Amino acid sequence: MAVSTDSKFSHKAWLQTPRKKGGIEGCQYPLLADFTKKTSADYGVLQESSGVAVRGLFLIEPEGIVEAIQINNLPIGRNVDEAVRLLDAFQENKKHGVVCPIGWAKGKEAINPATAAAWFEKHAK
Amino acid sequence: MSVRVGEKAPEFTLDGVVKGDFKTVSLKDYRGKWLVLFFYPLDFTFV
Repeated sequence: MAVSTDSKFSHKAWLQTPRKKGGIEGCQYPLLADFTKKTSADYGVLQESSGVAVRGLFLIEPEGIVEAIQINNLPIGRNVDEAVRLLDAFQENKKHGVVCPIGWAKGKEAINPATAAAWFEKHAK
Repeated sequence: MSVRVGEKAPEFTLDGVVKGDFKTVSLKDYRGKWLVLFFYPLDFTFV
């Protein structure tokens, strides 16, 4: 879900604007209005000088624990593929107890900590 | 930074728009589910 310090009315107008006109018509996930800016401040993404939230992304697991954080300054957008990769990796860890090394992606062999030596034998170059 | 990995995400309850309708959404509503929560500066800009 997405959060900005705009009002819910602004969100609705943006959701009704076609994509070719810079809108996000058809977007299915919730857009929330942090009008008081408290949530943005709580998450450490509020830019005090302008009152807007910088581009922070938080992956939260089912018990409410933060698993990953990425925060970009204003000019540069994020990468959805990387968010999905992190989600896949943390789910893999939770489900199978394995750990996922650099560059791991769904379909690649993760490391079972009990047999890590075998993983290195097989994959190290 | 006020949020750290491995710690509880700060609770919130915010008004918003969900599939075209105004709704109030809390972090608590997502217990039992994985959630990607992201912030962006302004409507009518890129994300």
